[in-house]
Amino acid sequence: MWLPIFGMLLGILLGMLLPIRVPMAYSSYMSIAVLAALDSVFGAIRAYLEGNFETDVFISGFFGNSFLAAGLAYLGDRLDVPIYLAAIFAFGNRMFNNFAIIRRYLLGYLKKRSYVENDKNK
Amino acid sequence: MNKRISGQLAVAFVCMILGLMLATQFKNVQKVGGNVSLQRTQELTREVQKLKQENEKMSNQIREYDQKIWEYENAAKGEGNLSQAIYDELDRMRMLAGVVDLEGPGVVVTVNTFLTTPQGQLISNVNYEDLLKLVNELNAAGAEAISINDERIISTTEIRNAGDYIVINTNRHSVPFEIKAIGNPDTLEAALKLLGGVSDELSQVLDINIRRENKLYIPKYEKLIEFDYAKPVQDK
Repeated sequence: MWLPIFGMLLGILLGMLLPIRVPMAYSSYMSIAVLAALDSVFGAIRAYLEGNFETDVFISGFFGNSFLAAGLAYLGDRLDVPIYLAAIFAFGNRMFNNFAIIRRYLLGYLKKRSYVENDKNK
Repeated sequence: MNKRISGQLAVAFVCMILGLMLATQFKNVQKVGGNVSLQRTQELTREVQKLKQENEKMSNQIREYDQKIWEYENAAKGEGNLSQAIYDELDRMRMLAGVVDLEGPGVVVTVNTFLTTPQGQLISNVNYEDLLKLVNELNAAGAEAISINDERIISTTEIRNAGDYIVINTNRHSVPFEIKAIGNPDTLEAALKLLGGVSDELSQVLDINIRRENKLYIPKYEKLIEFDYAKPVQDK
């Protein structure tokens, strides 16, 4: 459970320290890719809680979504259609949905535990 | 168990990439200011393109002029007297149109604001009308060429307020203004310093300083003069 969080912290640290720079022109595509990646991670947490988490699905979704979102945004820029709005909408929507489900699971888990503790106290 | 650990490792790896992306993007946005600067980039790109086009047009124009000069010179070979007259006329027209640098005696008028001494606050600003009045007066006194902050005043020159600036020849300028006029220094100075005249009037709110110069340099009009609509009447 702690391994992913540790990995993320390590990534942030590396990103802050390493002189990696995305060129200005690609900054907007990068932001879309980040959004897609965030969505994948939320999806993974949800799947983990539901018990049907599969590593290969997660990893393929993570990279696939990121590249697809960035690619579509790029295509949209070339065609002068703001497709990135669609990506923001889709991923944003899904992220909130996933978060809602995660919240229910966690609340349900807490409730169950308090019942158990109540039972124990009796 | 082994499978779970490897799965977690994969997730950790992906999360590391996510963190990397987040941090990179964060740095990027912080450094350049995100969306706003993107708009600014587009704006500047457009401007560059516009200037490039203008540049190209200008160099075309130069080529055209060169061609014309060559033609004239060719034509002048045989004619002598007449060509000299035409050349003189051309020179005069160039000076009038403002497409050549000029020098000569004249006056320099500097217009500035004065400050209220205690707070150091500006109490007045130069209005475009003040400049227009001065230019008008100089023209009336027989100025042959006028520039404000090295912007040559030609027949199409605008002098207008745009926010805190005054736009002259589509360039923005602010105080202090330096008006240079070539002409008879005595006449020009006298015209400005007339009792109850423009200098008298403006010096109530502005700091106006007039000085004569024996040799003034006035640059040419830098932009392209184009006629898209007006055409000379051919048949009379």
